[in-house]
Amino acid sequence: MSDVYIVGVGIHPFGRFDKSYEQIGSEAASQALRDAGVSWPDIQSAYLSRMYLPATSGARILRRLGGTDISIVDVEAACASGGAALRQAVLAIRSGETDLVMVLGVEKMPRGFMDPSMIYSRWQIEMGMSLNPSYWSMRAQRHMYDHGTTDLQIAQVAYKNHRNSVHNPNAMYRKEFSIEEILHSPLVCDPIRLLEICAPNDGAAAVIVASGSRARRIGRYPIKIAACSHTIARYSADFRCPADSMSTTANNPGPTQVTAQQAYERAGLGVEDINCYEVQDTDAFCEIEIYEELGLCPLGEGGKLISEGRTEIGGDLPVNMSGGLISKGEPVGASHLGQVVELVCQLRGQSGPRQVADAKVGLAHVLGAGGNCAVTILQS
Amino acid sequence: MSNPTSISAASPAKPARIPIREGLLSTPLTDLSAVRLMGSRCTSCGETSLGTSEVCANCGRDTVTSLPLSRRGHVWTYTIVRHKPPGDYKGPDPFVPFALGLVELPEGLRVLTPIECALKQVRIGMPVEFRAFVREPDGGPEVVTFAFAPSAAGEARV
Repeated sequence: MSDVYIVGVGIHPFGRFDKSYEQIGSEAASQALRDAGVSWPDIQSAYLSRMYLPATSGARILRRLGGTDISIVDVEAACASGGAALRQAVLAIRSGETDLVMVLGVEKMPRGFMDPSMIYSRWQIEMGMSLNPSYWSMRAQRHMYDHGTTDLQIAQVAYKNHRNSVHNPNAMYRKEFSIEEILHSPLVCDPIRLLEICAPNDGAAAVIVASGSRARRIGRYPIKIAACSHTIARYSADFRCPADSMSTTANNPGPTQVTAQQAYERAGLGVEDINCYEVQDTDAFCEIEIYEELGLCPLGEGGKLISEGRTEIGGDLPVNMSGGLISKGEPVGASHLGQVVELVCQLRGQSGPRQVADAKVGLAHVLGAGGNCAVTILQS
Repeated sequence: MSNPTSISAASPAKPARIPIREGLLSTPLTDLSAVRLMGSRCTSCGETSLGTSEVCANCGRDTVTSLPLSRRGHVWTYTIVRHKPPGDYKGPDPFVPFALGLVELPEGLRVLTPIECALKQVRIGMPVEFRAFVREPDGGPEVVTFAFAPSAAGEARV
């Protein structure tokens, strides 16, 4: 299979803005074009990752860059939309039909909890099963029971990510909180607290993807997409919104395990080769579970990894150098591409105070409704 | 609004009871103490899933038979929902925090359900029992919904 490269990146900060989604998106897209040193007419096709925007949002946003007749397709796969869209770009380039593709992720979301009718059935909403953090919390509660994971360890994840965000100008919250402040923030759904969950918000991120020959001609910091995988959870493999039950006998591996395994095999790389990670920390417990499912540690030992400081920027397995979704917020369509932008900057050595020393390989992971999961591995 | 006297002298027919979700509860819904959760068991792969279904949620074959699920199980995990869930939540207004959990049933599945008990009481392994009840009326037909509540008998399991 031919190699595919990221040759340019752009990001609009994640937060709350009095701007239209078209504005937010076109700013990120323009920045990515400038970063790649190419112009809008050079792009041969484009994908928009989004969940809460109207039909043909991609075309509405990108026409602001100039009239065009290229294929622009909106892609939706819940929290993994960005991975699903990036995968389409990789496949389009591998097909030989195009050699320069834009992938844009944009979201502008209502304040507060997400509109439940997007993912839940009416009866679940009526019965009070439509609060996303309740699903995260039930997994946390069982993990604590089975493996002895503690409230302190969950708070330590939030502490680390909030602290990392201080150095990220694109994050929504850039404030460090003490462990005590986190542990005394209000419970949302036991055992998960307010300072341990992410907020939906607005934001955009864009990448320019090129074939090997095109990347060589452009010549600026090409970063190889070693793998880009997207899967949905196997039968009863993931208790996540909007699940209403689980099998006790199916024993299928979880979507993070399955997707990561596929990505590791396609990249020909393993955890021992990866220098930094950006993962789905919609809640602080989730990051602990993902350490285990990505293979950073054995199942059940994720709590130990955070307690020992191994996932801090200076640790041997740095995770969420950007501050994670807990501090950036989660503009669903833009979140994975935001992670990819962070990793590209890390692999280029452009991340300033949050730079991981000698980062050569990075992994981005998202996981959401319906067990949609994406894993992208980038290599300098 | 219709005027009852203009339609018939007889008392208007009692509105039919409907389940909170089609296929989730056994019928009839008249005697609530006899109502059970329904499941579908696949004779090909052996998996049991929640609610009646034409095809198996695991293998996709049509070799499924419906069965009423056990009334008794135990709490496998839980949380306390401390904020009013978004959307058209039909619980108490103003909102009252409640326990939500997965209850493990002997048929090989765990069911997401409200757990009716004191918030401090809920524990993993706590034995619980199914309860069907008519939801607070809101003008339409009576809606039969469900919850699990601590059962007096039965050993705690995990």
